[in-house]
Amino acid sequence: MSVQSHDLHLLTGAYAVDALTAHELHEFEKHLEQCPSCADEVRGLRETAARLGLAAAIAPPPSMREQVLDAANRVRQLPPSGPRTLTAGLTRPARRLRRRLPRPIAVTAMAAVIVALAILQIGTRHQLHQAQTSNQTIASVLAASDARIELSSSTVGGTVTAVVSGHDREAVITAAGMPTPADARVYQLWVISPAGARSVGLLPGSSDGATSPVLADDVQPGDQLAITIEPAGGTKQPTTIPIVAIHTRR
Amino acid sequence: MNTPSVGRQPHGRGHSEGHGHDLGGLLAQVACGDHAAFEAVYDQLAGPVYGVARKVLRDPAQAEEVAQEVLLEVWRCASRFDPARGSAAAWVMTIAHRRAVDRVRAENAATAREQKAAPDSGTSEDVFELVDTALDRQRVRRCMGSLSALQAEAIKLAYYGGYSYPEVAGLLGLPLGTVKTRIRDGLIRMRDCMEVAQ
Repeated sequence: MSVQSHDLHLLTGAYAVDALTAHELHEFEKHLEQCPSCADEVRGLRETAARLGLAAAIAPPPSMREQVLDAANRVRQLPPSGPRTLTAGLTRPARRLRRRLPRPIAVTAMAAVIVALAILQIGTRHQLHQAQTSNQTIASVLAASDARIELSSSTVGGTVTAVVSGHDREAVITAAGMPTPADARVYQLWVISPAGARSVGLLPGSSDGATSPVLADDVQPGDQLAITIEPAGGTKQPTTIPIVAIHTRR
Repeated sequence: MNTPSVGRQPHGRGHSEGHGHDLGGLLAQVACGDHAAFEAVYDQLAGPVYGVARKVLRDPAQAEEVAQEVLLEVWRCASRFDPARGSAAAWVMTIAHRRAVDRVRAENAATAREQKAAPDSGTSEDVFELVDTALDRQRVRRCMGSLSALQAEAIKLAYYGGYSYPEVAGLLGLPLGTVKTRIRDGLIRMRDCMEVAQ
């Protein structure tokens, strides 16, 4: 389904109040980059929408204040300039709590990941050969001297773990505790580079909420690993806002 | 409670910064890791952020969770705020609304969504009493009154209800195209009514 640009322009209002469907959101954001007058209008309407929000203020529970201020002590801030986020312009960066692990802990964590991987793969004996090849690669990523672990919460709940080796240009991604998407939809993994989004494949389903690991190759430093919810079978390009995005280190 | 002081912003940034006691400046300090500035930002925006999450999600516990995430996101990403792209309040509220809407859509068809959407008037007893907020509320109400009934309803369902515009069309029994234009025309009229700076 392709939407004419005139029709797209009429979506500024719905976009400003986050009322677009996933498909249109993607098309509209592409359109925005080439339509300065749309971007202008969106800016104004966003301000208006924000006023609707300000007018809805309710005093939050008093305990929230300390929790948030305290949490800020533990959350690392992004540097002033960095890789462009997916929705260039009006970004809504995914929540991510990066943890820099001291080396010995990192090693322990990796060992834990390897054990988890081993357990996870018991159920896929028929794919054993395939898995072994991929496992060797995965093991080499995990063992890489520059391997880093990035943990990130997804907006739908659960945690995504990526082990990234800048040297090998590879990353291993697992997810735990994410709900099964509704309507036969799937989680799709992407590598986002300045050139665009490249599908790595679908996250395997799982019964207990933990997925078996997926290997992403050709991950350049600075690329993002992102997961979106897509229709069954996946799509060629992301059509929804990522539920998680992990920046790999430059 | 903050003491109101009308005309506190001599450069007439009042309506674009809206809620601002120079929020943009505070965000710049937050970007440098200034915890005191973050406290000030919290005190100005925790109410609106939590309020929007409550409107969209209804459930207080979930709203609190989302509000916390959003405020931490503000801390984490303060350096990415670009004043050229809009006011600080709009930046934060955009994150808040999107996050609440994402949550609601991810939950998809959960029980809370089945209640008929009746955006509440926002007159509960725990309403924030900041004067800026009261002014915002007054102005929003007045400007809502200048819209057609359909425009106002469509905007409330979309913004406060967190419904996508096809869902709004379904709820109001209107064609998609109609809802699309009602939301846009209504927002444009509100924008002009509230003299929001472009």
